[in-house]
Amino acid sequence: MIWAIYFAIASLLAIGIYGVITKKNLMKIFISISIMETGVNLMLIAIGYIPGGTAPIENGDFTTYVDPLPQALVLTAIVIGVSVLALALVMVINYYEKNKTLEYRRLMKW
Amino acid sequence: MVIHPVLLIAIPLLFAFLMPLLKRAKAVTIIILLFNTLLAILMFHNVYNNGPLYEIIAFSPPIGIYLYVDNIAALLAVMINLLAFINFLSVEKVEIKFAMLYLLAVASSTGIVITGDIFNMFVFFEIAAVSSYALVAWKRDKEALEGAIKYMVLGSIASVLMLVGIAFLYSEFRSLNIYDIMNRMDEGSVLILLSFAFLLTGIGVEAEIFPLNGWVPDAYQGAAGSIASLLSFGPSKAGIYAIARLLMIFSWQQSYDLALSVGIMTLLIGELAAFRQENVKRMLAYSSIGQMGLILISLSMLDSTDYAIIAFFFLLVSHAASKGALFLLSERKGFGSNASKYAGIVSVMSLIGMPPMAGFWGKWYIIMGAMQMEAWWIIAAIVFSSVVEAAYFARYLSTTMQEEEHASIIAAYPPAIMATLTLLLGILPFIYKIATIGGVING
Repeated sequence: MIWAIYFAIASLLAIGIYGVITKKNLMKIFISISIMETGVNLMLIAIGYIPGGTAPIENGDFTTYVDPLPQALVLTAIVIGVSVLALALVMVINYYEKNKTLEYRRLMKW
Repeated sequence: MVIHPVLLIAIPLLFAFLMPLLKRAKAVTIIILLFNTLLAILMFHNVYNNGPLYEIIAFSPPIGIYLYVDNIAALLAVMINLLAFINFLSVEKVEIKFAMLYLLAVASSTGIVITGDIFNMFVFFEIAAVSSYALVAWKRDKEALEGAIKYMVLGSIASVLMLVGIAFLYSEFRSLNIYDIMNRMDEGSVLILLSFAFLLTGIGVEAEIFPLNGWVPDAYQGAAGSIASLLSFGPSKAGIYAIARLLMIFSWQQSYDLALSVGIMTLLIGELAAFRQENVKRMLAYSSIGQMGLILISLSMLDSTDYAIIAFFFLLVSHAASKGALFLLSERKGFGSNASKYAGIVSVMSLIGMPPMAGFWGKWYIIMGAMQMEAWWIIAAIVFSSVVEAAYFARYLSTTMQEEEHASIIAAYPPAIMATLTLLLGILPFIYKIATIGGVING
């Protein structure tokens, strides 16, 4: 069961990286980055999972519960991801108004 | 007197969010930055006399989050806040949003330096990155947006990679405390190796090291002078300090070797690319990359020689102050007034490594270290890059000295003050003593 989750994490990361590398549309690049972020968040949750564990709310009935720390980390990571994505979309809109295109190719002069 | 390092982060964060309510953005920001500088100096005084300072938040370590300040961290906090204060004086028209973003960038750069928790470091990196994206795009013209978007794409990928590294580290040690991890570090596990690779790649984007610095020239070119200056002494210096901590956490011979080879590539490629540039800000940005390579070389010697930590300190502070001054000057055409001429010449001399300046001591100690290690090819690379630097900075000076400047007299002084700092640091010998006591991390 746990292997299915790790497979999902690996595929999400791979899809994200593939999108970032191959797509030339700025929107698609930022969507790919946010797919990668989802993969990492899933990975943090999976690391904190303990087989048979319940939600980490202590009321005396349960003895095994999952590691609460990664869940707190994921909350923070989600908030950060949302704010970065919002700022990115604002910049993409500005970029579109200036250049009338979302293509990234002419931007790239490395 | 008890000093709380957390105030260094909490006060600018609080006032950044209160800024829309306070009408006088410039005055408030200047007061906060001045207060922070004084607090950082007091903190350094305290750390210097009484040893490293801890601040525990909520629980005791290794469970709780904590801040850890030693000599070098305190000095870097002083440097970031002082330069941020001087730099802010040069901004003529301050909007409320600009002041907010500026305070956020300064607070998070200070946070990266003094935190003792690896996830906290990630959060501060993100705050620094988000505020710098917005600041780079501040002018909203084509160049600024191009630089900001490029920075943002690379920075977001870097943040994902950093989070992967932290996840691997957590799954191995079940702890996020840097010193707890450092004490339990052992070699061999694939997970640890992977987490080192991911963390180095993630932090490397912010620290401008070689294969990850594609955003640097565009972002610096698009940003206004005062913002380029902020980027060069704030987030990027905090990033290179985070790499120092990373090398100390893992402390394998292989990781030092990797840092050395990456550092030398960064140095040579940065300086050679700077030589070819036409645009002043682009040239300064590539020169920054080269100097980052030099700092990374000094870090790679941490394990082998005692000179490395002194060289690291001098290179970092001298580069921050003199590149800050040059970026501020790059906003105008040429040096007209005497204050600007003085600032430009002193900063360029410090970057090349001419004797009375702080940059000279950095290069001197790094070469002493390399001689002690008998690594002659490091010396060859440093001397070669200095020659290239001297060549393009001579060209830069010869064109800028002749042109007139059209700016208010107040705007000419912040770069001159930064240049004076470089000069003082090179002249006053007592600072060597400070730099030698205490490593980057003493558990």
